Amino acid sequence: MSQLSVKHLLGIKNLTAGDIELILQTADTFKEVLNRPIRKVPSLRDITIANVFFENSTRTRLSFELAQKRLSADVINFSSSSSSVKKGETLLDTVNNILAMKVDMIVMRHSSPGSPHFLAKHIRANIVNAGDGTHEHPTQALLDSFSIREKFGGVAGRRVAIIGDILHSRVALSNIFALQKQGAEVMVCGPVTLLPRYIRELGVKVELDVRKALRWCDVANVLRIQLERQQIKYFPSLREYSLYYGISKAMLDELDKEILLMHPGPINRGVELTSDAADSHHSVILNQVENGVAVRMAVLFLLAQTG
Amino acid sequence: MIIQLPSVRIICPGESLNGQTKQIILKDGFIHRIGDPGDVLAEKVDVRLEGENLHLSPGWLDMRTAAREPGYEHQEDLLSVREAAAAGGFTEIAVLPNTHPVVQSKEAVAYLRSRWPDHAVKVHPIAAVSLEAKGKDLTEMIDLHRAGAVAFSDGVQPVWHSDILLKTLQYLQTFGGLLINRPEDKLLTQYGNMHEGVAATMLGLKGMPALAEEMMVARDLRLLEYTGGKIHFSCISTAGAVQLIREAKARGLAVTCDMAAHQIAFEDMALSEFDTNLKVNPPFRGKADIQALWAGLADGTIDAVVSDHSPLDEESKKLEFDLAEFGIIGLETAFAVLNTHNQALSVSQLIEKLSGNPRKILGLPLPSIREGTLANITIFDPEARWTFTGKDIRSKSANTPFIGAGFRGRVIGIVNNGQILLNAASSSKQRR
Repeated sequence: MSQLSVKHLLGIKNLTAGDIELILQTADTFKEVLNRPIRKVPSLRDITIANVFFENSTRTRLSFELAQKRLSADVINFSSSSSSVKKGETLLDTVNNILAMKVDMIVMRHSSPGSPHFLAKHIRANIVNAGDGTHEHPTQALLDSFSIREKFGGVAGRRVAIIGDILHSRVALSNIFALQKQGAEVMVCGPVTLLPRYIRELGVKVELDVRKALRWCDVANVLRIQLERQQIKYFPSLREYSLYYGISKAMLDELDKEILLMHPGPINRGVELTSDAADSHHSVILNQVENGVAVRMAVLFLLAQTG
Repeated sequence: MIIQLPSVRIICPGESLNGQTKQIILKDGFIHRIGDPGDVLAEKVDVRLEGENLHLSPGWLDMRTAAREPGYEHQEDLLSVREAAAAGGFTEIAVLPNTHPVVQSKEAVAYLRSRWPDHAVKVHPIAAVSLEAKGKDLTEMIDLHRAGAVAFSDGVQPVWHSDILLKTLQYLQTFGGLLINRPEDKLLTQYGNMHEGVAATMLGLKGMPALAEEMMVARDLRLLEYTGGKIHFSCISTAGAVQLIREAKARGLAVTCDMAAHQIAFEDMALSEFDTNLKVNPPFRGKADIQALWAGLADGTIDAVVSDHSPLDEESKKLEFDLAEFGIIGLETAFAVLNTHNQALSVSQLIEKLSGNPRKILGLPLPSIREGTLANITIFDPEARWTFTGKDIRSKSANTPFIGAGFRGRVIGIVNNGQILLNAASSSKQRR
């Protein structure tokens, strides 16, 4: 298999296990490219890509832009901190205006769940979902799987605990889909108010005690508290959250086992992770960032093949 | 104009003609003659309506239509809504007060009643319970009643304030008025976009729990028990609400309810592609809820079926899912949807939910099928197979998930107020 089953990367839910394997294998190649003296290939020389970001982002936008440049694509960037409809222009009009300038591919981040799916119904360019509200963040899940695979040699059979604000996390949902498709066991952990009520029906374990979750897992993927996505109060204070759900290096050391500590960033140091945990030998947080470029190169490259 | 129905089955529960196959001659909007098929009842016939499964019943009444005029005429107006109603077999519609301005004065009631008086479809205004439908200060309900309001409701807004609801239930007893409440605890559905369940979890969308409807029904019933009077719940959608109302009826409370026809056509799982035409409030729920709705229809817990016709322009729907508005147009499709999915009701029971019961609830007279009376009838074929297309839409808005849907059961036309409105497909085929 050398081609994806989809024309867009809207979410992990729409991918097959074969698609995921193909992306990760392709990313292996690109990771090798990134470590060469000349870190650039001409693969997307005729392709123009627009990064359309309706939500603030630093790392994801930079990572995509770098991936595009390493593939020799032409890149334009559009960012707006609010959704365009508030300015009186619809999302579809904004994107169609960009496409009128002969753009082949759209990488979009947007606060509305399903916005890339909506776009896919109305435009012909390839779409990469760079995060749609509280729904999916597929490239993050792919780079997380890539990082687990890199450390453990594979994802199948591994136990991954996703810890924190599951309710508002697109990273959690994409990771659940990606890990399950690759045969991993998944647990979510957090205060009940931050766990979706029907999450068990997705086939994940649910744990309220972070220490028990850490004892169970091989990989702890710790999420940020998404205060900006919480429209109402879900817990009393960050102080209390960090006291009962924050992870320190001591907690990881006392487990006396190999455990991977992951975080999609940006870290709120002192809230979900103490600094000594984030900077410890357990942590692969910066490897994740590095792998992000290779994985995004793979996604862009493979989608460009689908036309 | 003389119309002959050479052979038509009459559905008129409670009357002697019910279930009989007759020949009917309509003349200038009146039921001129009723005889047996094969009798010679008229010398000259302008239109003959024939069909193996032709049925006729007292005209249908929709208890929940948003007509949008005044204020939102770009979505619907009092003429286009009538055409949509006629296409769907409704000869009368009760319209919600959520217009701009809100229907809260007798002038507004008079305006609604004065538009298109000669049309075949009659409009019954429902007036607001509270000023601006905000749930705080009561409207002048006696005055509104005298002006012709058939019921009181804040329409798409629930009457959320317990004491306002209590006072309304008491005050309406002055003239035996009816409160229609849409049960939804808005604090529990805040920011919600679809039914709370695993489908919403998978889509990353905030859910609207069944609990929000059930808590409100439970509260309202408790208040009703305290105040006396009567209440009608609109657009029931959950198994829990059906059960609460079933129990309340068994206790003898004066409670009735309806559900929207489209409610039984989709489960929440259908939203997997973020289709905003499936965004509706109450939201599409789970399989068990749909089964409970059928059980409620069959045992009489659910008295009526409504269209919950909510016209919205493309600018309100062709958007990101969470930014799109709630609502589906329903007048043209209500009967076909219900009949297509029908699991539990005879034709006669189904028609009772569209015709007799809505009138009983609103205290309006049931048109009779008798020689010499001005006809108020709906003609339909419950077995006709057809595909609903954009061309079948008479509403100004097209926000429906049913385009391309195959239906069983079709409305042939209505006769009311001296006017005859036949759906184009059937009349062109059958006109002589």
